[in-house]
Amino acid sequence: MLLQLAWATLTRHRSRTLLAILGVAVSAAMLLDMVMLSTGMRVSLRNLLLSRGFQLRLAPKGTLPFDTDATIPDASTVIRVLRTIPDVTTISPVLGGQLHITVGGRTITATALGVDPSVQGDFEIAQGRIPAAPNELVASDDFLRASGAKLGDTLSAAAGYDPQLRSFTGRRALVLVGRAHFFYMPAEQRAVALPITTLQQMRGTDARDRASLFMIRARDGADVEAVLHRIQTALPTVTAVSTETALRQVDERLSYFRQLAFILGAVSLAVGFLLVTTLVTVSVNERLGEIVVMRAIGVARSRVVLQIVIEGVAIMFVGALAGLLLGLATARYLNSILAAFPGLPAAIDFFLFEPRDAWGALGLLTVAGILAGIYPSWRGASLPIAITLREEAVG
Amino acid sequence: MLAALLLAAFTQTIDSIPVRPPPRTVAIDERLAADARIKIGDRLVVTATPGGIGDTVVVGAIVRRRADPSEVARADYRVIMHLDELQSIVGYGDRVDRFAVATRGAAATDSAIRHINDAAFGFQAYRSREIAVETSRTFLVVSRFHRAIGVITIVASAIFLLCIMLLKVDERRRDVAALRLLGISARSIVRSVMVEAALVAVFGSGVGVALGWVAAQLVNWHYRGVYRTPLAFALITPSIVVLAVTLSLVLGLAAGLLAAQRLVRMPALELLTGRREERRGENALSS
Repeated sequence: MLLQLAWATLTRHRSRTLLAILGVAVSAAMLLDMVMLSTGMRVSLRNLLLSRGFQLRLAPKGTLPFDTDATIPDASTVIRVLRTIPDVTTISPVLGGQLHITVGGRTITATALGVDPSVQGDFEIAQGRIPAAPNELVASDDFLRASGAKLGDTLSAAAGYDPQLRSFTGRRALVLVGRAHFFYMPAEQRAVALPITTLQQMRGTDARDRASLFMIRARDGADVEAVLHRIQTALPTVTAVSTETALRQVDERLSYFRQLAFILGAVSLAVGFLLVTTLVTVSVNERLGEIVVMRAIGVARSRVVLQIVIEGVAIMFVGALAGLLLGLATARYLNSILAAFPGLPAAIDFFLFEPRDAWGALGLLTVAGILAGIYPSWRGASLPIAITLREEAVG
Repeated sequence: MLAALLLAAFTQTIDSIPVRPPPRTVAIDERLAADARIKIGDRLVVTATPGGIGDTVVVGAIVRRRADPSEVARADYRVIMHLDELQSIVGYGDRVDRFAVATRGAAATDSAIRHINDAAFGFQAYRSREIAVETSRTFLVVSRFHRAIGVITIVASAIFLLCIMLLKVDERRRDVAALRLLGISARSIVRSVMVEAALVAVFGSGVGVALGWVAAQLVNWHYRGVYRTPLAFALITPSIVVLAVTLSLVLGLAAGLLAAQRLVRMPALELLTGRREERRGENALSS
């Protein structure tokens, strides 16, 4: 009966109810998007950093990995020291740089990663094989598209140029042996990877025995923070970051988005709440006569309150369900905008859907619907019966 | 004689000791000065690697960072040094990362770029504008994101406004019915409702602009503190105010028109008694 009465009231003013549901749907969509934004980036980055099982990273002192062009000297010594630290199982050195590759008379500049092919965690092979020999490299789809190179081609690559001699320096003929998907590269990045020793030699004295980054895997079950502490003690001239530290630092840099998400999420919730409160209040004011008649024939105050609260919750619930669908569509669109951030790994999603977020947004809106209905319904149900009846009858 | 020779030899030795030049000056940014508690006149040792051998320098100036959006999210410190000293410390040799070139007007810029690009190998001349576009890509993305959020907010506001106007006009159904029964034309009623809607929209816009201004001040105060930059994060410009008021007015008038037309189309007696809504309610209950 309660549900029937609520249904009758909601369908009495169809356009009003429809508009309210639409309003709540937009608010719910915005709320869901903001909840997704506040957590998505963090979860997505964490998944990316841990995707290859490396829990620790070593970068030049005072920097984040690949934040600057700085490199770590004495890479072989660093590796030797790291091997003495208990619980360190894998060390993957990476040197960054640029290669100028001449294909068919055109020179294409690509981001180059020098890696140890046996332990690398920067890419996975989509076609072909890992560059095992010193004169081999793999390339990203974007590089292959831009250059038109095919697997098996021999490419002429250079690591630098000498303006005085007007010639490329660090030249080497490299054989393309694989097509790779690079995990940490931005979308549409022309990238290649080759053995680190080859890239060090090509870059010359600037990069001799240097690395931009070390990725470190600790033994399963080991206390990563304790390993981090040991590394910091053993190698005070580098910055060691765990996944948690990296996330914290990225959080600081991108705190703007979390705060924006919080503010807009709160505003969306408030707008939805206000909309339903206004609607329920007006609805109660219109039906004061009906309410006091119900009270006069013996319907309990709590039943009246419950009926009106059900109306508010119904609007919120239906609006929230529509909002979830709308929110997923808008999140996809907003994510495509933010994915164009320069330098951001293509694998990072700002808006990541997690069922928990959806339930959270739905729960918040339902609570808002209950709160929105309580005050007007309680006020309506508490009016003096005789006086209100008379006022409603006389008009 | 011997003493004179010794004195001459000693004097020669003193003359041959190279005179150490006084430390050169550097400028540091406010952020570094505040965090490391450095004052003008302090002596610092600048090295290229942690714990390495470096140069002693004197802090000659503390500079305020420009309001450069590309530096907002970066927490690094800045030291401005003499070029040759930096080259020597980092072992960069006689090299620089870029040159800034001033020209005499737009035509001279074109020919300078052409000449440099024709003559040079290994580097490229760009216009400052092109570099600005490249470095501000991050902010173009943020700007597009804000615009998209803005559109969603406008849609939500439009629905909210429409709903409120509908309720407001609905509340006056009895007044409207009485006016209709008195012989006031439907057109006059629609006009009066629209004038009311316009007043509500303009008044609401005024309050909104004031709230927006306060919010912008709070946002600027907060983010300037967080990122330690003089950059303005939120700006309320006259064009934004005009857009907001116009949008609100148009939406308000449209909502008023829709709601008023809905009312005047209904028979006056039904409006007065609310029969139609009651019938809908009864139908819903019986079904």
